[in-house]
Amino acid sequence: MSKYSLIIDDELCWGCRTCEVACKQEYEHKIKFIHVQEDGPRAVGNEFIYFHRPTVCRHCDEPPCEGACPESAISKRDDGIVVLDYDTCSGCRNCIDACPYDSVGFDEEKQIALKCNLCHHRVDRGLIPACADNVCLAHCIYFGDPASIHEQIERKRRKRQTK
Amino acid sequence: MSEFTYSNWAREMEVYGYDSMVKSHCRMCHGGCGVLVYVKDGKVKKIAGDPDCPINHGTLCTKGLASTELVYHPDRLTHPVRRIGPKGSGKWERITWDEALDTIAERMLRYRDLHGAESVVLGYGTGRENEAVIYRFANLFGSPNVLTAGHFCYGPRIATSIITCGSNPIVDYENHPKCIMVWGNNVVISNPDCYKGEPFSLALDEGAKLIVVDPRLTRAAARANVWLQLRPGTDAALALGMCNVIVNEELYDKDFVENFVHGWEPFVQRVNEYPLERVEEITWVPRDKIREAARLYATIKPAAIQWGVAIEQQINCADNDRVLMLLMGITGNIDRMGGQVLFRPPNIRNVGQFGAHGMLPREQRDKRLGGDMFRLASRFSIINPKCVWDAILEEKPYPVKMLFFISSNPVMTRDNAKEVYRALEKADFMAVADFFLTPTAELADIVLPAATWLEMDYIADFWKRHGYILPRRKVIQVGECRSDHEMLNDLAHRVGMGEHWWDDFEKALDWILEPAKLKWRDFKEMDFLRGEVAYEKYREEGFSTPTRKFELYSTVLEKMGYDPLPQYRETPESPYSAPEVYKEYPYILITGKRLPGFFHTENRQAPSLRELHRDPIVEIHPDTAGREGIKQGDWVVIESRRGRIRHRAMLFAGLDPRIVAAQHAWWFPEKKDPGHGWAESNVNILTDNSYETCDPAMGASSVRTLLCKIYPEKT
Ligand code: SF4
Ligand code: SF4
Repeated sequence: MSKYSLIIDDELCWGCRTCEVACKQEYEHKIKFIHVQEDGPRAVGNEFIYFHRPTVCRHCDEPPCEGACPESAISKRDDGIVVLDYDTCSGCRNCIDACPYDSVGFDEEKQIALKCNLCHHRVDRGLIPACADNVCLAHCIYFGDPASIHEQIERKRRKRQTK
Repeated sequence: MSEFTYSNWAREMEVYGYDSMVKSHCRMCHGGCGVLVYVKDGKVKKIAGDPDCPINHGTLCTKGLASTELVYHPDRLTHPVRRIGPKGSGKWERITWDEALDTIAERMLRYRDLHGAESVVLGYGTGRENEAVIYRFANLFGSPNVLTAGHFCYGPRIATSIITCGSNPIVDYENHPKCIMVWGNNVVISNPDCYKGEPFSLALDEGAKLIVVDPRLTRAAARANVWLQLRPGTDAALALGMCNVIVNEELYDKDFVENFVHGWEPFVQRVNEYPLERVEEITWVPRDKIREAARLYATIKPAAIQWGVAIEQQINCADNDRVLMLLMGITGNIDRMGGQVLFRPPNIRNVGQFGAHGMLPREQRDKRLGGDMFRLASRFSIINPKCVWDAILEEKPYPVKMLFFISSNPVMTRDNAKEVYRALEKADFMAVADFFLTPTAELADIVLPAATWLEMDYIADFWKRHGYILPRRKVIQVGECRSDHEMLNDLAHRVGMGEHWWDDFEKALDWILEPAKLKWRDFKEMDFLRGEVAYEKYREEGFSTPTRKFELYSTVLEKMGYDPLPQYRETPESPYSAPEVYKEYPYILITGKRLPGFFHTENRQAPSLRELHRDPIVEIHPDTAGREGIKQGDWVVIESRRGRIRHRAMLFAGLDPRIVAAQHAWWFPEKKDPGHGWAESNVNILTDNSYETCDPAMGASSVRTLLCKIYPEKT
């Protein structure tokens, strides 16, 4: 079974927020599951720490949200994708509190929790998740096998001359 | 993973049941990106990048992706309207295209008869790739007055590069520069004229070193090997200081300097007036850093300068552009592979020919507004906006009676907005072509519904200097909207200029493409056309300048009565030039940082883009905020000698505490009164447009550097 991950190398992220709008377009301009957060700037000595960090569900190996859900609406698939089933969700919000990455949202209208399901409706039909489908100008959003992604990230890092 | 490929359009069609996919070319900014447009039931459903496009390689930005929110916006103007109440009353009635264009034509002819063609001013803002067709119309009509952003945006790069080396030197990202100096630009957010952030990003991945010159911390500055955090407006001094290091440490390209430049000795003399001690004092950048950056840039080959508009919106506009070009020249990076290249366009009729500049009679050209004052601008058919406002308000040197703005919102984007507003109120007749009833359109007599990029056939990137043209294909029709090109082609017939126009605009595209032996219908089937790529052409041909050399010393500027060498002038309103003002307005205000999602005044009504920035934000150093009693998120007043506006405060440590940074072009389409809050947060309420604060050659105003005070808004 292939393993699927969405991994973002935020050292490269420019904060252009295209991934956010790509996600939104996929969900008919209604919701989005990825948010780019600013980290810093903070002065450390003569340097500044200043990042843009895209945050999105990490599809954890042992998802705390899964255990927190009384309806068993959240489950991790064999391919690694953690799916929240909107039909089963009762809107208790336990998963929201359980997620350490603040990656579960809430639909006030429908009164259900919402999270990135890694575009499984696309993945299951051979399409790359919307935010990872070559939209990012930094090419820093990776989808696929985690081991080979980490290797690519390392290779690129070794080549770079910038800070 | 083998089953997954990027932009798998065939699969996409199957899974989502789209009816068709059309390849086209985005123009939500200056344009450039190849896109795949998916259509279902006659509506655009999805926009994705075209992985085969050489400009963007399939990546996009927020604006391109959200195009549909603009195109199908419920507030969009989809038929012509005529104002029926007083100006600014917001009372409109629907009219037909025939009524609208006949009225406009009748007015144009009447004013030409009574006051001369120069009393009719056409204008565009950053343009919808309608620049050439607007100039064509004005030139053939006989008006020398086309009001653009060209006096302080891109026009100066074109004008100064043509007189210095024949064309705009474009970074050859394809061949991976090894050192990139980003100067006054946030290329990954703005995707500026001729560039996209993606190739820049790739060059860094390939191991380029990075120097960033910016008063404000960006992510690129945080990643840079050297960040030069200069005092706003001191770019020319900084660059002359770098030249000084390069000349005196003999780091320049000796072959190039010996054989291909004009004016080396006076240039050396000039740079010797800028020793690093002096430059440090002017720029606030420590001399060691300047030296380090100069050495890096001069010794790594090939190297490139990624410049941006910030250097042009200053009193030193033309000299900033020129001195950066001189840096490219003396380091031998001009027309070198992986450096900056004078790319050849494809063999087609160019924008100059299509713009019919040669057909404007000389006696009309001599009447160009501000032509005696801003002589370099005038040579390139560019005028300073205040000249137009004065001609309306004071009828000097002659009256301007009619304005026709096509994709322009000067109430928001031109300096001294109050004066702009007064002039637009007084104009005898004004027509506007745009997507929405903007604060500018609300002052018009007739507003025409303009087509977006998804609604037109055109040759995309026609005006750029990167050597490519690409087909923009019409995908949809929305209401009665028409492209600016078709609209002007129609209007041209109604004012009796039909002989120089076409019965339909597709024939104009055929005419442009003719030298390449192509018709639009052939080109439309192609991905792109590229001019022949060649490097170091100057070895055979010299440069296209009067001396055939790369002109460090500009013979053209000399003839026009300007300093032939770049110099630094102090910003008109700075702590040093206006110490008395500084006592009362104790902060330097910079403006115009680029935001993902917005393109100047555009897109504030597109929900996915507006949610990225709800309110106008002023960045302020935490220490400064503390001193002024300002907390994160407070509404604050920013005040200059000319007026006051409100922004929300964001504490930002990546700025010198003496500087605050406000945003530009904010209006509020959600406010339904006809003013749409144009004066509330409009940074141009604060800016100055008096002639003496403008660049003497180009007429650029200093909209990015002024003095202000800032304090919490009383609740
Ligand atoms: S698209 Fe890429 S660069 Fe832009 S914000 Fe998202 S991750 Fe960052
Ligand atoms: S960078 Fe410009 S051309 Fe490219 S997608 Fe964005 S708006 Fe369109």
